[in-house]
Amino acid sequence: MSAAGRTLRLVELRSGHSGSFGGKSSTLGELMAAGIPVPPGFAVSTDAFRAFVAEAGLDGMIAAELERMAPGDVDSVGAASHAISQAMRFAPVPEAVRDEVAERYAELAEECGVAEPPVAVRSSALGEDSQDATFAGQQETYLWVRGADHVCDAVRDCWVSLYSPPAMTYRARLRSGEGEPAMGVAVQLMVDAEVSGVMFTCNPVSGDPSMVAVNASWGLGLAVVGGEVTPDDYLVSKVTKEIVREHVHAKDVQYVPDAGGRGAVRVSVAEERRAIACLDRTALDALVDVAGRVERYFGSHQDVEWVIARGSELPESLFVVQSRPVTALPRSGGKPTATSAMALVMNAFGAGEPKG
Amino acid sequence: MAASTAVGSFPSPYEVETPPGCEGWEDMYPYYGRFDEDRRETDERRFWFWNSMHFPVPMPAFDAICIDTAYQALGSWQNRVFAVPPAMGIDWRCINGYIYISGNPVLDPDKIAERAGHFQKRAGYYYENWNELYGKWRTKMEALIAELDELRVPELGEYEPDEVAFGDQETSYCAVLEAYRRALRLADLMWQHHFEFLLLGYGAYMTFAEHCKANLPDIPDQHIAQMVAGLDVLLFKPDAELRRLARLAIDTGVDAAFVEGRSPEEIDAALAESAAGRAWLAELEKVKDPWFHMATGDGLYHTYGSWLDDPRIPYASLIGHIAALNAGEDIERPSDHIAAERERLAAEYGALLGDDARKGFEELLALSRTVFPYVEEHKFICDYWFLTSWWNKIREFGDLLVAHGFLEERDDIFQLSRLEVYSALDELLLTWATGGQPRGPKYWPPIVARRRELLARLADWTPPPAVGAVPEAVLDPALIMLWGVTTQRVHAWARHQEGGSELTGTAASPGVVEGVARVVKTVGEIGDVREGEILVCSITSPAWAPIFSKIQAAVTDIGGVMSHAAIVCREYALPAVVGTGRATSQIKTGQRIRVDGTAGTVAILE
Repeated sequence: MSAAGRTLRLVELRSGHSGSFGGKSSTLGELMAAGIPVPPGFAVSTDAFRAFVAEAGLDGMIAAELERMAPGDVDSVGAASHAISQAMRFAPVPEAVRDEVAERYAELAEECGVAEPPVAVRSSALGEDSQDATFAGQQETYLWVRGADHVCDAVRDCWVSLYSPPAMTYRARLRSGEGEPAMGVAVQLMVDAEVSGVMFTCNPVSGDPSMVAVNASWGLGLAVVGGEVTPDDYLVSKVTKEIVREHVHAKDVQYVPDAGGRGAVRVSVAEERRAIACLDRTALDALVDVAGRVERYFGSHQDVEWVIARGSELPESLFVVQSRPVTALPRSGGKPTATSAMALVMNAFGAGEPKG
Repeated sequence: MAASTAVGSFPSPYEVETPPGCEGWEDMYPYYGRFDEDRRETDERRFWFWNSMHFPVPMPAFDAICIDTAYQALGSWQNRVFAVPPAMGIDWRCINGYIYISGNPVLDPDKIAERAGHFQKRAGYYYENWNELYGKWRTKMEALIAELDELRVPELGEYEPDEVAFGDQETSYCAVLEAYRRALRLADLMWQHHFEFLLLGYGAYMTFAEHCKANLPDIPDQHIAQMVAGLDVLLFKPDAELRRLARLAIDTGVDAAFVEGRSPEEIDAALAESAAGRAWLAELEKVKDPWFHMATGDGLYHTYGSWLDDPRIPYASLIGHIAALNAGEDIERPSDHIAAERERLAAEYGALLGDDARKGFEELLALSRTVFPYVEEHKFICDYWFLTSWWNKIREFGDLLVAHGFLEERDDIFQLSRLEVYSALDELLLTWATGGQPRGPKYWPPIVARRRELLARLADWTPPPAVGAVPEAVLDPALIMLWGVTTQRVHAWARHQEGGSELTGTAASPGVVEGVARVVKTVGEIGDVREGEILVCSITSPAWAPIFSKIQAAVTDIGGVMSHAAIVCREYALPAVVGTGRATSQIKTGQRIRVDGTAGTVAILE
């Protein structure tokens, strides 16, 4: 750990770090520990955020704005959010934090042998990604960021997102009375995704635990996560790897790295690629295999973001960039209460125990 | 079942018109098998569906025995023996030669409770003692088939045999009528045996399937079937014997006789020329009983024969197997792999379930495996082995009537009802005894001719999938288990009553395919199916095996995922949609269609 201890390599993180680095970063560390392929990177702690607020002297201003805000009033929340965000955007990232981030970034550059490697900068909130609540509104992602200064800017943008109107409303509703929020940030080597998407280690619609449900589209994951395309939709049996359901949709847009080398841009998908399936048997096999490993490691159903990199071969080209427990699974209603075979058969013939 | 118009409607059975030139079709069937005015009040309010699964083509008068005796047997077991609580038996009516059926529900809650007590006791006894009872069943059925084989139809010579004059033998009048009555009785008994285990067997399997789907909603039906299916399945035995004979032909160097395009007679003649060939033919003879009693089609009509009647199907398979073996292909069923896979599936699915669900899963799987031999084997033993032999026995009575001018050819007998045959035999024997002039030779042939014409015309008519009231819900376990007629299915039929270019059914085997349709209404049309076509039929059958290697998808009018037909379709990895209700009536041969066996839809593209 570097002197100030406000950053760690992702591979050093475990679930015990979720209080100091946020859920996303610590989960990525766990995935690496499980041997799941995850792009390398580092994490910025919540202390860095606190140092930022303290050094810029924003504590009082934030407290005052929150004091004045009426949580149920959209305009009031908007005004508070605007004031805090503006103040944070113009505040400098503490020198010590900048140095640490630059050092980690240089390490990463050395590790992957690229001078200014593109990275994804994502918020890693406290309590986020927990099994109990899907934490809305604090999930900022900045893709294809290059250069230490830009990474620092993106880290600050993640911090700012902590005071977006939805995040503030959410906290006001659920966490009133708790101390001030803090946010960690994950910085991860960018994978040039040919295909990306999300998969559940069960069917989230039916609740079937024997299925892996995969959504996939061309390019970076934004299009799928943001709901900008109707992704290809697969249901694959964990037991036999059979594709039980396959719906290929027209995928009109995708996100690709900007030609200038910074940021991601939304472009049209070439006509001839829109309606063709973006995953084949090999890719699905690799995904189902990883789904099983992630699920076994965490011991619960997982919602996994993944990418398949351009320019290399499966299974090496498959990376997991995020995993969180599946919340709110449907419970199949009206399940018979009987458990013995004979009682179930009797029910089928209408000869079960009288109801009521 | 209460009527509801919210989900569409079916035509009234009383408004269905007789096709031109088919007047008088009613005379082929018993008086109680019509929609008559006497019962209009009740019949019009009932839900009736066309049993195209068992009766896809117009019913010849004699073959109606497979309605009456089958439904008496089903009713006896379901209603009077086991007393299935919510449902008694099946009623049938005929419209333009097609058979519609309707369940008789039990509505009184007290009566249902009373029946539940009987059911638990009696069905429980069967489940508990299944293997022992099923062992007895096999013995009974084999004895029945032996009795059928031994049944002789006496000939009528110039004089009664010596045994009548010098012994105690009864006169021919008594002997012939007794033989005919025994033939009918054997059919009654076969159907009685057929239904003894049927409902309970399907019920256990279906409960397992439902339990799987409640806890593993997306589990493919094929996996359920794979976990249950027997390893040594009787229905696959005939083909296993053919594979053995194919290997034998190669090992003994007689395989050159099996040339594509040669008839069975030509192959036999080529084999007979060498000692090794004759040895092979002797081995074939040993296999024939019982394995050549495999039917060429899956149906309850006299037109369905066995491999013995039409050896082209087994010979075509032999030619195929020998060619495959000579090309170095492996033609064996991978039984070790099947056994291992069956256990692996059961273990892995079981491990995905919570404790309560797993207990039910494991017990139901064990019960299903216990009952499944019956589900798989009764088809070969009853429907194929017994029935194809029995039709041939009836043909012997046809020969007798032909010999005395009552009929022109032996199969004419199937144009008379079983009671009319009794009557014709009665008159024949009477006049043979008296030396008088029979009226039969003038009386029956025109009736036969007219009925043949009627059946041909009625075959072109398209029956609606259902008539009468649309039920709010289908609660009858027999309709659901045996016919796959569920509430959802019936409502889909009602919605689609107006037509449209898309049909919906049950997704029976996954995959999407586009191609040219071939509508096959009778087994005789199987030969018309061309490479790469999509088979559209009332119900597919394992006995149609030879065409499954040609087609690229299958669509049926009726049937659920439980039918052996659907399972075999999946074995061939063909997309299949079953239970569309109206595929054979809506789709015409030559049309391009798209079959989505994953979604359960069929689109007519032109």
